[in-house]
Amino acid sequence: MRRFLVLFLPNWATDYLKRRDYQLRAPLALYERIRGGLRLAAVDSEGQRRGLHVGQTLADAKALLPELTAMEMDRPLLEAAFAEFADWHSNASPLVSVMTDVSGFGDLVLDITGVAHLFGGERAMLRMLLTRLRDLGYTVAGAIAPTIGAAWAVSHYARSQVVEAADMQTVLDALPVAALRLDPFQTGTLAQMGLKTIGQLRGRERKPLSARFGASLLLRLDQALGHVEERMTPRLPVAERYAERRFADPIALMDDVLMTTHDLAIQLGIRLEAEGLGAQSFHLFLYRVDHKVMSLSVNSARPTRDPEHITQLFAHRAERLSGEYDAGFGIDMIRLAVSSVGELDAVQFGAFQVESGAEDLDQLNDRMSSRLGALAVLRTEFVASHIPERAARLKPALVVSNERPAENATSGTLRPLRLLPAPEVVAIAAEVPDGLPAAMTWRRERYRLVKAAGPERLGAEWWRSGRRLELVAPPPPPKPGEPEEDRPYLPQIDRFDPEAETRDYYVVEDDAGRRFWVFRLGLYGGPVPPVWYLHGFFP
Amino acid sequence: MGSTDRQQRLAALRDTIADIERRPALQEARSRVELTPGDFPALGGGLLQEIFTDERRNAGAALGFALAQARGLIGAARPGVIFLQLAGESQKLGLPYGPGLLSFGFDPAALILVRVEDVKELLWAAEQALGCRAVAAVVADIGAPSKVLDFTASRRLSLRAAEAGTSVFLIRYGTGREASAAHLRWRLQPAPSARKPYDDKAPGPVRWQAELERGVLIKQSAEWLLGWSKDGLAAISPERGGTQRFADAAVPRAVPAQLGDGLPQTA
Repeated sequence: MRRFLVLFLPNWATDYLKRRDYQLRAPLALYERIRGGLRLAAVDSEGQRRGLHVGQTLADAKALLPELTAMEMDRPLLEAAFAEFADWHSNASPLVSVMTDVSGFGDLVLDITGVAHLFGGERAMLRMLLTRLRDLGYTVAGAIAPTIGAAWAVSHYARSQVVEAADMQTVLDALPVAALRLDPFQTGTLAQMGLKTIGQLRGRERKPLSARFGASLLLRLDQALGHVEERMTPRLPVAERYAERRFADPIALMDDVLMTTHDLAIQLGIRLEAEGLGAQSFHLFLYRVDHKVMSLSVNSARPTRDPEHITQLFAHRAERLSGEYDAGFGIDMIRLAVSSVGELDAVQFGAFQVESGAEDLDQLNDRMSSRLGALAVLRTEFVASHIPERAARLKPALVVSNERPAENATSGTLRPLRLLPAPEVVAIAAEVPDGLPAAMTWRRERYRLVKAAGPERLGAEWWRSGRRLELVAPPPPPKPGEPEEDRPYLPQIDRFDPEAETRDYYVVEDDAGRRFWVFRLGLYGGPVPPVWYLHGFFP
Repeated sequence: MGSTDRQQRLAALRDTIADIERRPALQEARSRVELTPGDFPALGGGLLQEIFTDERRNAGAALGFALAQARGLIGAARPGVIFLQLAGESQKLGLPYGPGLLSFGFDPAALILVRVEDVKELLWAAEQALGCRAVAAVVADIGAPSKVLDFTASRRLSLRAAEAGTSVFLIRYGTGREASAAHLRWRLQPAPSARKPYDDKAPGPVRWQAELERGVLIKQSAEWLLGWSKDGLAAISPERGGTQRFADAAVPRAVPAQLGDGLPQTA
């Protein structure tokens, strides 16, 4: 049997704005353009007490209460803020969802199956959640019930309470039909028929009800009673394996956070070891007292459960973060969750351990990547291409690919030890246009070239050019009497010009023994005059 | 009477401290060098070596010299070499190039390239790498002199290197020299390449001019003309001109020997 907790915050929008900006004065109302007029969409408790209600026109409200603070409602902002507010509640249960049946904000549902004992029972948990929010200045009601529908109904239309499975039917029977999350048309018609409570509705024939109100009425009824299961989509990804710790007094220092992380990593490591698993991604959630959640994530190249390693990764990640870390008024809960879980067999550490260099090296890569960023630690990977800058690419060392790396396409030919990321233009002089280079000017310095080898001609990869693949309209059909155009029809597009893209590479050596790799782009006598570039250095 | 006693004891203590501070690293370093007169010494791991070259355009030669030494340190237990470079200097100095490493005779899979933002991060990464038992050598490319890399920093690196048995090569550019605690300091210049058989106009096997500026380890000679082949670094005596010895180019990884029938020995 599942248990759900629904929190209902009727005045959330105004409470939130007042909390955010303490200068806002009560009574506060938010208005919206509804059916061509400015009408109130949210009213705070002070306004309600003095006679304002949702749906009233703004002019009426202002006439009634001249001191009213009225603001336009910003739904996207409120919905985003409520989503963040909902995330914070994952410190009570990891499965939290925003209920958007009625409004984009105001209703929260938590799946608390098997969680309540951590708070000393369901009653204590509900009381804790409600008090916590009331202390922050929110108007809130809540209920715990075996179904989402029942919990929603009770939280909206009855006092806050815990409903046991046995009492659910009795409690629901007494509630008005509107507690079934119906649309206004359905509630209106039901009222005309004299069906005011859920109890009256439940005894009715199902077929006529379905014919008159559509399937949605019965679905809601069945969901509330638990005949049909209702699913919720948790906002945060569900981590099956996590460890968490709550603090009586909030902590703020990063060092304390890291020490706790170490403890949690040990707990988690023991669990993972028992299951024979290791994980590659680790997420640290820091729940701040002022309902915000900070999350840090680190990755590891191979599955691990080593607490020291995990803590070290978070420590390096935190060092990079330093400026952005803001504990606010303190952190009262920390959760460490893992994902990308993979099998990792138990290993024995100690005397007979075989030194495996590769594993140590991967751990070093993890550490450096977590501090310097994943794109800073790189490995070479070969690509099947003869174009020098394409033949090798640098790939984050964290990424372990299972595919077989391509063979080096240019093995056997001389390649420079260092390659410039962008070739630099140089001036080359040769005795005859197609002869070996004799002098070079690079970065405003002149080099006398005494030896040279080449050219090594590298053509462009025409299959990448794609220019001839452009779609063109077919030729108009020939007029009668005219000769038909030659088949096949070739559109008039610039042809791929192999001459302009061809490179001639030379290895040149100057009088001091420095060796460079230079190339000429284009051919002599072509449409574009050739340009020389320096591309790399030999040892 | 008491005062001389005390002074003697103080002097003895000072000596002890000096011993602890200086000697172990140096002695170990000495034991890592095998001396053969005239030839290039075989250098073991655990040394902090500074490789100075006069200008940035010699970057290729300096990296070649460092990788040539690093290749000799790679083994099954120490499969990795870390190359550190400032992200802003890639275009000035060039990035190590996979196919180029292969044709030089260095396995590109062994090289991990780390691009850091500043020298402080570079030192951090170097220390992390020294803390890892699987790293054979750390090669750091430092394009411009930096205040962060002072005597204290290099002393730290040299002690860590000696302790871990991992060699550190700092490739530095320019003619200025700062105080440092490096075990060895080289001045490396490219030299005109040897003759290529059947083609006089083409660049031949690589030659470097290496001069040991610092390091009391080698007394006999301090200057070598070096060549690089599958046998490793070798000194070339000027009278032979380097033309007589033609060893094959270096191969990047161990290749199983071939039997007479052309089948590989293993497998």
